[in-house]
Amino acid sequence: MTAYFIRRFLLIVPTFLGITILIFVITRFVPGGPIERIIAQAQQQALEGGSAAVSETVQRQPLSDDQIELLKKYYGFDKPVLVSYVSWLGKLVRGDLGISTRYYDPVWAMIRERIPISLYFGLLTLIATYGVCIPLGIAKAIRHKSAFDDASSVLVFVGYAIPGWVAGILMILVFASHWEIFPLGELVGENFDTMSLWEKALDLAWHSMLPLTAYLIGAFSFMTFLMKNTLMDNLAADYVRTAMAKGLTFRRAVFGHALRNSMIPIATTFGNNISVILSGSFLVEKVFNIDGMGLLGYESVVERDYPVVMGVLAISSILFLVGNILSDMCVAAVDPRVKFE
Amino acid sequence: MTISPLTIKKLKRFHAIKRGYYAFVLLVAMILGCLGAELLVSNRALIVCYQGHWYFPTYGDIIPGKAFGLAYDYETNYRDLDEHFKAQKAGNWVLLPPVPYSAFENDLQQDILPPEPPTILRRHYLGTDTSGRDVLARLVYGFRIAILFSLGLLVTTYAVGISIGCAMGYFGGWFDILLQRIIEIWSTVPFLYVVIIISSIVVPNFWWLIAIMVIFGWMGVTWTIRTVTYKEKARDYVLAAKALGASDLRIIFRHILPNTVSVIVTYIPFSISGGIVALTSLDYLGFGLPPPTPSWGELLQQAWANFSAWWLGFSVIAAMVVTLVAVTFVGEAVREAFDPKMHTVYE
Repeated sequence: MTAYFIRRFLLIVPTFLGITILIFVITRFVPGGPIERIIAQAQQQALEGGSAAVSETVQRQPLSDDQIELLKKYYGFDKPVLVSYVSWLGKLVRGDLGISTRYYDPVWAMIRERIPISLYFGLLTLIATYGVCIPLGIAKAIRHKSAFDDASSVLVFVGYAIPGWVAGILMILVFASHWEIFPLGELVGENFDTMSLWEKALDLAWHSMLPLTAYLIGAFSFMTFLMKNTLMDNLAADYVRTAMAKGLTFRRAVFGHALRNSMIPIATTFGNNISVILSGSFLVEKVFNIDGMGLLGYESVVERDYPVVMGVLAISSILFLVGNILSDMCVAAVDPRVKFE
Repeated sequence: MTISPLTIKKLKRFHAIKRGYYAFVLLVAMILGCLGAELLVSNRALIVCYQGHWYFPTYGDIIPGKAFGLAYDYETNYRDLDEHFKAQKAGNWVLLPPVPYSAFENDLQQDILPPEPPTILRRHYLGTDTSGRDVLARLVYGFRIAILFSLGLLVTTYAVGISIGCAMGYFGGWFDILLQRIIEIWSTVPFLYVVIIISSIVVPNFWWLIAIMVIFGWMGVTWTIRTVTYKEKARDYVLAAKALGASDLRIIFRHILPNTVSVIVTYIPFSISGGIVALTSLDYLGFGLPPPTPSWGELLQQAWANFSAWWLGFSVIAAMVVTLVAVTFVGEAVREAFDPKMHTVYE
C-alpha cells in the first residue's frame, strides 16, 4: 500500500506539469496583457494632456518600438514560449511565484496575506458542516419518512438549489440593508485597529455571520444526505439485524454498530477539504467584499495580472491533487478492508 | 417505439411522488409559458380593431403608426394608441397583453427617476430596473434565455460526455488511461476563469458561450458514463452478445447505452439547474451574454449595487428560488423513481 501511495505522489508531477503548461499557454496567448495595458494608459495620458500638439502617431501608438521592446524584456515576453515557460517553472519550483504586473508586489506575499482569511472561513465552514450534518443525517435516517424527515428534506433541498452567493445577496438585502442588523460586507469594521481584543472578536464574528451562512448553504445538503443514506444502508445490513435479533436496543444497534461503518464515506470526503478550505468561493467573497484567495484570483483574472493568476492556480491545483490522495488515505485509514494496489 | 413495462413502472413511481410530480408540472408550464411569452409580456398589442379591420401585431413585421391614423412612420406605441382610441370613442379598440412592456424598452417618465417601485397603475407589476425597463418583462425573457441555454448546454455536454465516456469505459486500456490524465488536468482549470478570460476577448453570443462551457465542462458527465459503461461491460449479457458475434458498435448502441439511460436521466435535472446557475453567475459578473440581453444575473448585479431598490433583488431571487427548487424536486423524484432504495425499518 505504501508503494501505491508513493506512486500516486509521483503521478502528481506529470499532472502538475500538464496543468502548468495549460495555464501558461492560456495566459500567454490571450491578448490584453500588461503591455497592452501600459500602452492604453499612455494613450489615456496623451489624450488627457490633450493639447493640439499631440500628433496622430502618438495617439495611435504612444510608445516607441524601443520602449515596447524594453517592456517585453521586463515582463519576459521577448523570449520564446518554451524558454520563458521553463524559467517560470524553475522559479516556481524554488518557491518564487514572480511579481504582480499590476501592484508590483511579490505574488507569494499577496497570496500569503489572503490565506488566513480564506482559512478562517474554510475552517469555520468545515466545523459547522460536519457539526450540523452528521447529527442531522443520523436523525433523518432514524426517523425516515417521518414529518421531521420530510420537513428537513425540503429545507435542505431549498438550500441545495440556491447558490450560496445568491442567498448572500438575499441576506444582505434583508438583514443588512432592510433591518440593518448585520454589516453590508467586508471582514472587519472601519475602526478595527483601535478596538480592544474582545471588541475585535465580536466585530469579526458580527461581520462573519452572513458570509458563513452563505458558505454553509451550499455545503450542507451533500453531507447531510451522504450521512443519511449510508446510515440507512447500514441499518438494512444483516449485521444490524443480527444485533437487533440478539436483543440489543435500537439505540445501541445504531450507535454501537451501524454508525461507525457509516462514517467511512464521510471520511473519504475529508481529504478534499484542504483545497476547499484554502481557495474559497470568489462569488461569495465578491458579494460580501471579503479580500480572500477567491477574490484575489478573480480580480487578477479580470485585470490580466497573470503572475498572480498562475500563482493562485498553481497553488490551488497542487492542493487539489494532494487532497485527492489524502482522501484515499483517509479511506484506507478508516476501512481496513480497502486495499490499494 | 414501445415502452417497456419496467419504464412504465418507473414513470408510475415518479407520478406517485407528489412533490416532484407537481414541481415537474409547474416547470413544464413555465417553459411552455415562456416560449409563448410574446402573448403575455410584450409592448405589441394582441389585437387592434381599427375602422373595422382586425390587426394581430404580436408576431410578424412592425406596423407603422400611420396604419392606425397616427402621425408617425415608426412602430406604433400601442399603449398610447390604446389611450388615443379610448379618447376618440370611435369604436376602435386595442387589446394589450397583461404586461404591456417589452424587455428592451426604457419606459422613462418626466418626473420619476428609474428604478421605479412596483405600480399597478402603470402596469409595472414588479417595478422597473435602473434604466427604466420593466422588471417582470426582463424576468420572463431572462428565464426563456436561461432555460434554453441550459437545455442547449445539456444536449451538447451529454452528447460529448456520452460518446467519450462510453468509449473510455468500453475500450479501456491506454485510451482510457490517457483520457483519465487529460480529464484530471482539464478539471483543475477553473472553468469560470477561462470563460472570463475568453469572453473578455470576444463578446460571446449564445452559441459561443455554450461552446466554451462544453469545452471546459464535459468532464463530469464523461466520468459518470465511463464508470457506468465499465460496470455494464463486465456483465454477462455483454459477454453473451460478444459470443454471438455482435460488433463493438452494436454492443455499445443496442446493449450498453439503453442500460445507462436510467443513470443519465437521474443526472439531467441537476445539469439543468447547474446550467441556469452558471449563466446567471457569468451574467452577474458581467462576462455572460452581452447587454441588453435580459438576464437574471444582470438583475442580480443591479440589485447588489442598489440596495434601496429592494424590488429588483426580491423579484429575481424569488424567481430563481422557484425555478431552482422546482428543478431540484424533479431531480430528487427522478432519482427516487429510477433508482429506488428499499430500506429496512425497525419498529
